[in-house]
Amino acid sequence: MKTSVLWATPDPEKTIALAMRRCYSTKTLSELVSELESKGPDYWKHLIGLAIRDKSFDVIEHFCILVLLEDLDEKEIFSIILKNPFIRFTYLKPKVYLASLNARTLIEMIHQDECKELALSIIKSLKDAGIGNLFISVVFGGMLIEG
Amino acid sequence: MKVNLVWHTNVSAVKDYLNKKGLKVDYSELEDHTFYMFEIEDVSRVTTHQLIRHRMASYDQESQRFSAASRESFIIPSSILSKEEAHKVYNDALRFCVDTFEKLISLGVPKEDARYIMPHAIKTKLVMTVNAKNLKHIADLRTAPQAQWEIRELISTMRDLAIRATPEIWPSTK
Repeated sequence: MKTSVLWATPDPEKTIALAMRRCYSTKTLSELVSELESKGPDYWKHLIGLAIRDKSFDVIEHFCILVLLEDLDEKEIFSIILKNPFIRFTYLKPKVYLASLNARTLIEMIHQDECKELALSIIKSLKDAGIGNLFISVVFGGMLIEG
Repeated sequence: MKVNLVWHTNVSAVKDYLNKKGLKVDYSELEDHTFYMFEIEDVSRVTTHQLIRHRMASYDQESQRFSAASRESFIIPSSILSKEEAHKVYNDALRFCVDTFEKLISLGVPKEDARYIMPHAIKTKLVMTVNAKNLKHIADLRTAPQAQWEIRELISTMRDLAIRATPEIWPSTK
């Protein structure tokens, strides 16, 4: 299977941190953006860690990912769709699909035997594209080392 | 009411990439794959209760467990604002609710419980991420003449921002 990232939420870690601060602050969004930019990536990483620890996965949903999947069987897609209602596929030609999902679905997929290969392939292509490295290290770090 | 488009999918770049790979795709097929993130401020909880009924989207909203209520933070519908006596009744009720909220806090009641007294008119802030297909569905329902005025104004603004950002996805409204 070949996976290529076509688009993803810009600055996904900052976006997730923004969504998280939105819940707990009275500040306007532009004030929150200034706050997050002045505190920097370590703070975003800290907030993502809290979200994962508390299972506040709603904030993770704002990290959206669009991928091109090549050499993927219809049978595999069927089993992925059955377990993951929020991933969207568009058929392009035999064995080639567009798929969009958010990072919450990606987290859920990595814990499903039928979907783990695709999830790992998406994570690898995000890493190769330099997207969401901080997020990946916080959320999937240990899991990727385990193999 | 303040509505901004924070980011959106660069849908023309996606289509160009696919075309270069010899994969023909119509913009209508990219509706599922085109995302928008909006910031929404100064709308009432009346409106956000309606908004989050549209479940195929992601929302994060200012929590009343943690944020203090302000005496200035209420939406006043024009049907009330335009009638002097109705406006007075409305303001008196809001003032009573805020006074009670503050009194409960001063009595040691936690905000998460004191907030039960706060009215739906209170202004709120949230972020929302939604794809084009679902935004179109929401717009069909909520910009109709029979929709309630505040959510109609909100969704009309969101739809206009989405059209400006990604006109290819909204061909009938270009």
